[in-house]
Amino acid sequence: MRVYQCEDSLEGVCTAIYRAYEDHAEHRDTWIRVDKELMLFGEYIPVETDLERAEKVMRTLRRRFGQEDYESLGLALTTPVPEKAQAVYQTVAYGLRAALPPGHLLDHQTDQYVLQTFQLAKKAGREYGQLREFLRFRELDRGILYAENAPKCNVLPYVMVHFADRFPQEDFAVRDIGRGLMGVHPAGGEWYLTDSEQLLRALRQVGYSAREMAYEELFRYFCHKIAIKERRNIGLQNQMMPKRFQKYTIEFAKKT
Amino acid sequence: MEMSWAFMEKENRLRRENGLERENRLGRENGLERENRLERENGLERENRPERENGLERESGLIKNSRLAKEQLCVVNTTGSSLDGMASGTNSPAITDRAEKIFSTADVSAQNMDILPARAAQGGNTMGLMEKLGILTDSAKYDVACTSSGVERKGNGRDLGNCVKEGICHSFSSDGRCISLLKILMTNECVYDCKYCVNRKSNDVPRATFTPDEVCKLTIEFYRRNYIEGLFLSSGIFESPTRTMELIYRTLYLLRNRYRFNGYVHVKAIPGAPPELIQMTGFLADRMSVNLELPTAEGLRELAPNKHRRNILTPMRQIQNGIKVNQHDLTVYRHAPKFVAGGQSTQMIIGATGESDYQILNVAESLYQRFDLKRVFYSAFVKVNEDKALPALPGGPPLKREHRLYQADWLLRFYGFQAQELLDEKRPFFNVLLDPKEDWAVRHLEQFPVEVNRASYELLLRVPGIGVRSAQRIVAARRSARLRFEDLKRIGVVLKRALYFITCGGRMMYPTRLEEDYIVRNLTSEKDRVQFGSDGMSYRQMSLFDDGQYNIKPDPGDVCRVVTGQM
Ligand code: SF4
Repeated sequence: MRVYQCEDSLEGVCTAIYRAYEDHAEHRDTWIRVDKELMLFGEYIPVETDLERAEKVMRTLRRRFGQEDYESLGLALTTPVPEKAQAVYQTVAYGLRAALPPGHLLDHQTDQYVLQTFQLAKKAGREYGQLREFLRFRELDRGILYAENAPKCNVLPYVMVHFADRFPQEDFAVRDIGRGLMGVHPAGGEWYLTDSEQLLRALRQVGYSAREMAYEELFRYFCHKIAIKERRNIGLQNQMMPKRFQKYTIEFAKKT
Repeated sequence: MEMSWAFMEKENRLRRENGLERENRLGRENGLERENRLERENGLERENRPERENGLERESGLIKNSRLAKEQLCVVNTTGSSLDGMASGTNSPAITDRAEKIFSTADVSAQNMDILPARAAQGGNTMGLMEKLGILTDSAKYDVACTSSGVERKGNGRDLGNCVKEGICHSFSSDGRCISLLKILMTNECVYDCKYCVNRKSNDVPRATFTPDEVCKLTIEFYRRNYIEGLFLSSGIFESPTRTMELIYRTLYLLRNRYRFNGYVHVKAIPGAPPELIQMTGFLADRMSVNLELPTAEGLRELAPNKHRRNILTPMRQIQNGIKVNQHDLTVYRHAPKFVAGGQSTQMIIGATGESDYQILNVAESLYQRFDLKRVFYSAFVKVNEDKALPALPGGPPLKREHRLYQADWLLRFYGFQAQELLDEKRPFFNVLLDPKEDWAVRHLEQFPVEVNRASYELLLRVPGIGVRSAQRIVAARRSARLRFEDLKRIGVVLKRALYFITCGGRMMYPTRLEEDYIVRNLTSEKDRVQFGSDGMSYRQMSLFDDGQYNIKPDPGDVCRVVTGQM
């Protein structure tokens, strides 16, 4: 049994998949892992991420399975689940072997790995959706918009794509607190990810803009006023908007 | 990484020191943009400046010709920069030309241009933005539609905003309803006297009117912070339908052309306003709606003396035709401006007048069929006025009834049902215990059980526990293999509900009786169901739709409303 051990990223796993094909591995007897835990009786092969090879694999996946399923594979890999790499690898192997047409990779849920990949992608997709909904920006001095959150899945890149399209002429930054990562988008420019402490410190030194508190107050008031008291239903409110997101929104959070 | 931060810093310094240079570099240079930026930087204190300063005064009585009228219309309420700059900012030639044409012919021009009388202008003087927002949100909250769905529009790299087909909910208010749009009235200084409405003329309530500029600023600033998906602008009748519609049009014009907002906008078309104005507004909005208000003309006569059924249906028809023509135009010229791309909707108040569910559903059906509406919304009547023409409603708003209507509405739109199949003259109200689809099934037991390996798609759709997606999957999967109950479960069928109505390979899942009472008892057994109530509604109640993960994907806006019973 062979185990490819790679970096915990889309590129890392794609490089490992490249290696497995290069080595003509017997897929059902091969593992790709992103964690360091050792398995008994395994032959361990560390894989260095190689962007060129990863890119080749990514292109193939996109071409063979279509953009949507390709994105699902990527989303599945953002989950904090150690088995995700294996699930995605086996799903890809299954799909390539069966020559599934674009858009149908995840239909075949009789296969346990396909099912697992589907479920992981769904989970990450939901969290990405929630961030699109519940992320809140606060305006710092000089018009910089800053948001932070602590998602379970590593969906920050997806979030950045969404907001870069939406706010092309804004300076904004989104921080994933748990991972210590930050997506930065300079107005009119390309966004990037960084873990720079220095940048974070610099941002922290910039205070809130003069009108920020006023707009937060306006929105809080709006949320209060829009509710119909005859229909009051706090249970439903909490169900639709999980507590762990509430705490990052200005309409639920305690005033700061 | 440090480099990029430095870049950002520099950007900001540049912007601070010299807005002009930066705008130049970005190729966005014109007076409007710069001014817009300045205004934003100046913050809130500007927003309370009196209208007079904002250039509104300039318009009253000064307009001599249609060209000027057009410019005034486009740039009303700016903060005193030169007209030249503004004119260059209106870079949507199609719209501008249309405006020019219409305003040179229609009688809505010249003499009617001073939209805001002194009263409102003074209001701008004395009343804070916070107070206005409070009053005009309070007045808008009974409007149920809050979806931001139906339009997919990528960002253009320049303007603020994009649109996502499924819509996005950004928050949930304490009644569990989704907050997707900044839902406000332009004004509640209404000259009509609808008996059910808190803003009616005869009520003594605080009144306020937004300036177009205030609405734009709130929209932009809320949007930048990801509070909202866009704007939902409704209005009381300010002096006349025409004036009200003008005010709405101006606001949208400013929002799109001066504030360069590219997000979602839903506005009301005001019955009785000139068709030209409605048409122009439609080119700036993603969705338009005309409220039917009450299901029947008699109801309307009784409770809304200033409104007439025909007046309401006229703009509805106009928008329908506008959308049709536009769809044709778009196939010929790909870049033709879009007209109400997200479609048209309406809403009716449920329980203020005596109509039956059957009547209401028939009205909805004909609206879908004859007016191509995207959605009909139902709004459980909330009694805000004491008036002997209004029902007492001791149990509060009829939420359960509203919920059933939404479910039935869904059956009309996606499941191939017709209104008269679900209800009839003899049974004009929905069953409280069963959802409309279960109710239909137990009354048509002669059609069951159906064999899932053979039944037509249309018949599968009628089985409780089988939704659109699972029906599609059954049809696809049975081509290659004979389906068993395990497969159905994986496909997403809710067997608990479906098992009374189906066979798989000729066998039922458990021995059951095909008897109305027996099935009803089982379908409504307590432990499987969450009770309706004022609290704790849940997804489980979407019994029609909860056939697992594969159900038809309603847009998130719809989902929350399914849950709140006002999908
Ligand atoms: S027109 Fe009727 S429903 Fe609308 S605000 Fe005026 S009184 Fe209320």
